[in-house]
Amino acid sequence: MTAATTSAFTASGSVLARRNPTVKLALLFVVSLAMVFVFDPVTPAVLYIVALATIQASTRLPVKAMALGHVPFVAFGLGIFLVNALSRPGQILWEAGPVRVTVEGLSVGGSLALRTLVIGILAIGFVASTDGVALMGSLHQHARLGSRVTYAVLAGYRMLQEMPREWQTIRQAHAVRARLRPDGTLPRGLSAYRRAAFALLVVSVRKGERMAQSLESRGLGLSPRTTWRKIPLNSTDWLMATTVLAVLGGILALSHILGFLEGYDALFS
Amino acid sequence: MSTSTTPARTRSSWSLKDLVLLVVLGVVFGFLYWVFVQAWTALSILMGPAGDLSQHFLAGSWLLVAPIAIAIVQRPFAGVIAEVLASVIEVVFLGSAVGPMLFIAAAIQGIGSEIPFAATRYRSYGWATYALSGLLGAGLVFFYSAFRSGWYGQDVFFLRLVIHLISGLVLGGLLAKVIVDNLAKTGVVDNFAIGRTRLGKANAR
Repeated sequence: MTAATTSAFTASGSVLARRNPTVKLALLFVVSLAMVFVFDPVTPAVLYIVALATIQASTRLPVKAMALGHVPFVAFGLGIFLVNALSRPGQILWEAGPVRVTVEGLSVGGSLALRTLVIGILAIGFVASTDGVALMGSLHQHARLGSRVTYAVLAGYRMLQEMPREWQTIRQAHAVRARLRPDGTLPRGLSAYRRAAFALLVVSVRKGERMAQSLESRGLGLSPRTTWRKIPLNSTDWLMATTVLAVLGGILALSHILGFLEGYDALFS
Repeated sequence: MSTSTTPARTRSSWSLKDLVLLVVLGVVFGFLYWVFVQAWTALSILMGPAGDLSQHFLAGSWLLVAPIAIAIVQRPFAGVIAEVLASVIEVVFLGSAVGPMLFIAAAIQGIGSEIPFAATRYRSYGWATYALSGLLGAGLVFFYSAFRSGWYGQDVFFLRLVIHLISGLVLGGLLAKVIVDNLAKTGVVDNFAIGRTRLGKANAR
């Protein structure tokens, strides 16, 4: 599952993959935060095109992987677009019985859907170019994340990778002992999944406790710690951060000058 | 055995065991949500505009981690930390569609879910506390999501709020109590604060 999705998207060795994970995460966060205050469709559309071109050039992801990565974001965005187009009062564009489409609905809906795409393309670039273990190591080194939290999350990450197999084992173990239905097939309903999910929870809690004990018995949590593989943080990372912020600020400013940019008031106009 | 009802809270820093437990809860629920969301995305495409509304029916299930974590570990901030860790796993390792703004939503949810338990000084774990926890967790995060997703000014705003709150109460509150009670019965959490409370009571009898 996780292993499968990430391996389909990896862009290791690319330009973006060599950048510092903490800086990338911080940029992803800043851009997402800035997007929350934009409510017109033009600004996020421009940002999306710029981001798509940059991510494509810096990760060299295959088109198929890029398209597959877009599926959840497009679906999510489409739902947002439709509900806004249909449920927002304003200047009526088209009406049929209880269904009506307004200009404001189309504009705000389009903006929110495109915002999903902007955050989506950045998330695709981030996940494809960032190794989870390197990210945690970098957060520990550069963002002062405590060593116990770091290693607890890394232990959890390892567990997550094994989870699809664990899930399969539990389902098979249940299947072996299950009472067959009259037509000879295995029970599949919601209660079977509920039992498997609970078993997964119990097994994982037990495994987590063993993991914590073994980490502690190896002296984890003692300070000062040294790190074996240092994650680099150099001037190129700062250059990337400055460039991204400058481009974001530039597009927002230009959009404001040209009169496209709309803020939160767009919801009530 | 009245002393055993005030567990490890006096310790200054978090033990690795408790931290790993919070991460494990985040991972398990993150994985189950992930499985669930796959099915959900397909369903919400089929439902068209109703798909966006239908998310509120399940809104409460995102709150589950916090009350479960608080009930097992019984320490301040357990709920907030568990929610944030769960969101980190969802965004960083599973690539959630919401993006990193989920960290903020998770922190708000965690705070909402934690307030009722904090008000009882982490001593009461009855149905009412869980119900209130689910209600507050869902209520607080609703206004944040409404701001982020531009729900204000929509015709269906109050419908959204009501479905959201009911979902929080049932899935994010009462269901958490059912899960915690069943988990305690299996004995896997006996080495945590919840087990010390439970076994302490049994010994006193």
